[in-house]
Amino acid sequence: MKNFWKSGDPFVWLTGGAIALSLIMILGLLGLIVVNGLRQFWPPQIVELHLQNGETVLGEIWEREEILALDGQGSGHRIRLKIGNRDLYPLDFRWIDESEIVAKRYPENVLVLERLEWGNFYGRFNTLKQGNTILANSLGTGQEALADALAEMALLRTRIRELEKDEIGSINYDLEKLRLEARKLLLTSDTTSVAVQRSLTEKRKKMTVLQRQYLEKEKALSALYTKSREMVLTATSADGREKAIKIFDIVRLTTPNALDVVARSRVFLSRVAEFVSAEPRESNTEGGVFPAIFGTVILVLIMSVAVAPLGVLAAVYLHEYAKQGLVVSAIRIAVNNLAGVPSIVYGVFGLGFFVYAIGGTLDQLFYAEALPTPTLGTGGILWASLTLALLTVPVVIVATEEGLAAVPREIREGSLALAATQFETLWRVVIPSALPGILTGLILAIARAAGEVAPLMITGVVKLAPSMPFDGRFPFLHLERKFMHLGVHIYDVGFQSPNVEAAIPMVYSTTLLLILIVILLNVVAISVRNRLRKKLAYSVF
Amino acid sequence: MQIELGEKAVTSQRRLSDRESRVRLMKRKLYDRIARWVVAGGGFTIIASILAILLFILMEIAPLFRPAEVTEVNRSTVTALFTDTPEIGADIVALSIDENREVACLLSAGGVVQFISLKTWQLLESHLLPEIRGQKITSVWQSFKSDRFVLGTDHGLAVQLHIGYNARFFEGQRSYRPAINSGSTWPVAPSNERLTDVAFSGDPEESMIIAGISDKGRVHIFQQTKEASLFGEAEVDSAHYQLEQIWTGKPAAVAIDGTMRNLYMGSTDGKIYHWLLSPAAAPEFVTTTKAVSGDGGGITDLQFLLGGRTLIAADSNGGIGAWFLVRDSIGPAGWRLTKIRDLQTHVGSVVKLAPSARGKGFISADADGNLFLHHSTSGRFLAEFSTGAGIPVKALSFAPKANGALTLAADGKLTHWNVDNPHPEASVKSFFGKVWYEGYEEPEYVWQSTGGTDEFEPKLSLVPLLFGSLKGTLYALVIAVPLAIFGALFTSQFMHPGLRNKIKPTVEIMAALPSVVLGFLGGLWLAPRIEIIIPALLLMAVVLPLLTLLVSALWKALPGRYRSNVRPGVESLVLVPVLLFGIWLSLQLNGFMETMLFAGDFRVWLYEQAGMSFDQRNALVVGLVMGFAIIPLIYTISEDAFSNVPGNLVSGSLALGATRWQTALKVVVPTAAAGIFSAVMIGLGRAVGETMIVLMATGNTPIMDWNIFNGFRTLSANIAVEIPEAPLGGTLYRVLFLAAMLLFVITFVVNTAAELVRQRLRRQFQKL
Repeated sequence: MKNFWKSGDPFVWLTGGAIALSLIMILGLLGLIVVNGLRQFWPPQIVELHLQNGETVLGEIWEREEILALDGQGSGHRIRLKIGNRDLYPLDFRWIDESEIVAKRYPENVLVLERLEWGNFYGRFNTLKQGNTILANSLGTGQEALADALAEMALLRTRIRELEKDEIGSINYDLEKLRLEARKLLLTSDTTSVAVQRSLTEKRKKMTVLQRQYLEKEKALSALYTKSREMVLTATSADGREKAIKIFDIVRLTTPNALDVVARSRVFLSRVAEFVSAEPRESNTEGGVFPAIFGTVILVLIMSVAVAPLGVLAAVYLHEYAKQGLVVSAIRIAVNNLAGVPSIVYGVFGLGFFVYAIGGTLDQLFYAEALPTPTLGTGGILWASLTLALLTVPVVIVATEEGLAAVPREIREGSLALAATQFETLWRVVIPSALPGILTGLILAIARAAGEVAPLMITGVVKLAPSMPFDGRFPFLHLERKFMHLGVHIYDVGFQSPNVEAAIPMVYSTTLLLILIVILLNVVAISVRNRLRKKLAYSVF
Repeated sequence: MQIELGEKAVTSQRRLSDRESRVRLMKRKLYDRIARWVVAGGGFTIIASILAILLFILMEIAPLFRPAEVTEVNRSTVTALFTDTPEIGADIVALSIDENREVACLLSAGGVVQFISLKTWQLLESHLLPEIRGQKITSVWQSFKSDRFVLGTDHGLAVQLHIGYNARFFEGQRSYRPAINSGSTWPVAPSNERLTDVAFSGDPEESMIIAGISDKGRVHIFQQTKEASLFGEAEVDSAHYQLEQIWTGKPAAVAIDGTMRNLYMGSTDGKIYHWLLSPAAAPEFVTTTKAVSGDGGGITDLQFLLGGRTLIAADSNGGIGAWFLVRDSIGPAGWRLTKIRDLQTHVGSVVKLAPSARGKGFISADADGNLFLHHSTSGRFLAEFSTGAGIPVKALSFAPKANGALTLAADGKLTHWNVDNPHPEASVKSFFGKVWYEGYEEPEYVWQSTGGTDEFEPKLSLVPLLFGSLKGTLYALVIAVPLAIFGALFTSQFMHPGLRNKIKPTVEIMAALPSVVLGFLGGLWLAPRIEIIIPALLLMAVVLPLLTLLVSALWKALPGRYRSNVRPGVESLVLVPVLLFGIWLSLQLNGFMETMLFAGDFRVWLYEQAGMSFDQRNALVVGLVMGFAIIPLIYTISEDAFSNVPGNLVSGSLALGATRWQTALKVVVPTAAAGIFSAVMIGLGRAVGETMIVLMATGNTPIMDWNIFNGFRTLSANIAVEIPEAPLGGTLYRVLFLAAMLLFVITFVVNTAAELVRQRLRRQFQKL
């Protein structure tokens, strides 16, 4: 026994326990996110419970936990059932004591309707009507008619969206632009001059034309909406209540209990696709996160455009041009440490400097016609990107400097000995060799930006952006717009949404997506660095 | 290939003429020079601009500590204003200014209300108060905004006066239609007594109290109560009391607080007397306090600050004190009037006080014509200005937006002042010291930046936030440091390189995990689960090490031929299922443990036995999650430090017969100690500034309490929570910048220390 302690092995094992525990935590966390992030896409079994008091309940079993029995003796279990039908019941979820359950069935004819509003509906098919004519009155005979109706309404939804967002949206955009232009003319130029008057009249004329177009579109839209109300599915909920649901409102209709694994996988994939490509519904608790993905991508792109040249320039200066000495090494330490300064500090700086100081001034100079509504003097994608650029510039500087330092002296000296100037050496020899370092720095910066939240919350991210920062309307890239971001989306939906319980599955999925992106970027950064390093090693004389 | 290139270069060279090549060389040199300028200029600018962040933040903070500026806008004299009626000019008793500081109102003892333009000093309108006819106004009470007055006359009457400036904005021009509204009179004292001071509280239409001091040395109370009867009809009762003369000296000033429950009287021998008022009964004397230090001083004015809780008492020695009621179990009324702080002392006797209508500031004026601008909460003496040396201030009014003042000196000089006082509540003491706030029993550190009403006293102590940052960091380090450093030691010393190359990147990638993800899991997944498994967590702390030791003993007992076949470092992988089993076991025993140790309910037990409350989102959750976030950081840096310990040291130690553990502990750890220090510092730097995790996984309550089961609020989370609502350029906005600067400085210092230590370590290794 004494030997056992003396050998020190138990302590070695204890330190091994530390790394094992860390690994368990890491893998546990990843597993938790993956399972919870994907689970919600898999079509669940719908259970029908008959309770002692004669009630019948339909829903998905969400979780099961141990409870003390009512008499305090022994214990039982209770289950949490997602009963949906938000328009009929007050709550999405319900706890049911297992001892109250008389019978449990998985009926094949149960429908799950994913709707535009009110969340899921669980129930049974009753009739399918178009106006007053009944198209089908049982699920078996109505399969085809139902599928057709769903397809038709899906088309209609797309059409309405196009009309609302693109066509009417662009008319509104043009109208607003004309209004501001007119106001600018009134504010800045001599209104008595003939040219100004003429231009004003012209603008008013254009506005009238647009307004007429707007009315036409509006009429077309209301016709489409009338059409959307035509087809109605009546379904019966578990407690026998009948509910008429517009086919138009049904995003997806499944009969999960009747599906086999292949069909289930298909539903799973279609739901994953919806998550990545659709817009959010029901105050971000359902639908997709496409605007958040898009916002994140644009943010990261603008940031890269700003950070790459700046970071490289600063690093080249520090490493190639500046006289090495105490000052430069002090600067180097300072830059290095800026990477450790909390991101919220950059956020505060971005808000004070970019948004209020620069944005406010630019508004006064160029967007006076829109005041007091701020254009650039409020958070927006440009300011958020610049804030992040500032936050990540130390990362790029440090990585680039590392890359520059790794370029062998011989290569430089060879180039200089061949009478190349310092700039030519730098441009043709050193920078290409340091490219892996630069690239790694940039990718790490992007990964950091994709996951950063605190500074974005105060410089321009919103919970729901009405329009994207990049679209088909001139000038295409709208730098002043507010946008959505995956990281902020997690915080917002998880902590600020009115129905957190219903929102949590969405948060898990968003988390999974964000983690995948960040880890992927990091892995790419590491492998790019390794691969280019190898390549570089061979290219050395 | 290279030769080929060389030939090409040579041929192309040959084709150039001398002139051409000279031009080309010049061009190349020019490019080089331009590049040098661009790179040097650009690089330097970028680095300078990054460093300018701190400068910008400092610039935003600086105005907080700047004193207020009071400047004269313009002036006139009453003789110039009232050339036709000099008797009115000589008799001004009260002043008032409108919100925009364009019109002023002068009230004369004879009851003439004159509106004048502050730009042109021209008379706009003149009204005569019919209620005053035949009397003289001898004392004035005015509201914070100087729009409501109660005037005491020489016939013992109190008269209500309401001034409206009625500004209207039409086509870019502001015009005024001033009006007065008077009518109610109340007999406060018998008609042969002259009221030398009046105080008022309440609403003339509803319940109200007027107190008056008469020239006969009496104090009169007039009380009006209005109660709605059952049938919705209002009944108005009024009562009159004359206070029993228990005082020594003579009554000099009275004041009634905002609750209409407390009456204070200051006497000429420097005491404050306190009575309790009630709607139905006669005033009840509570206590008396000496309020003037030194002999011979008497109270000259008593005024409540906005909110009606803090009483400012000025005396003839020039002293000014802030007082309010503090809960007192011994005193007769349960409350005791306590002097909270002294404000800047005047040289001469203080004659007038004018409270601000915005916050807890006020102006005091003395008999030498000096005026001081104070703020009660911060205790700051903000500015000093003078109407003329040696000439007492006769009347004074603080503008409704607290951005200006109007003074009248005894020689008739009327001065309009601009008061630039953006951040009176800010001071080093109010940020970092204990401050005695209204309604508190003692000075405390409190952060509560906004309240529901205008009368709210902002509490801007950064100490609870610093404490929160420290608390979160500490708990995170307690969890992360042992795991990370032991893990790093194992990975670097006892693990096969092949395995190490897989484990290390796995841990490192976790450093890139966005903190919002960890915060979300901490707040919504971990917090509700931790709550029920605290007994299991305690059990794990015992079970997991025990299991590890057990396995190590079993491993030792294993025949050598099995052991020698596995690569070193596999121990950690063997331990994964074992630890998982331990965790599962502890969770299974959770209920049992809770019944055995904590009488069935940990939270109840905690409250009953230790008196500690339990928040769901607490420091334990943050410690775990933030610990998780900084493990990779500390792990990577300390692993590097351990691995860089020169191999010959390790080999030497092993060759001398030391076991691998002895080598690790006695050789590797001491050599790499500086690296461990720097790793911990960098982890600390990250934890101090972490925002999202603490924002999501704590309750964000700014309390100061080391209890691991309570929440806290950190500097960083506080910025994230409050800056979206902080108005640009306001005090809160700048205080949040101050918080940001604190974070900047803390992390910068910590990281620099770590970096310097690391560099020294690197040099040290190079020597070995």
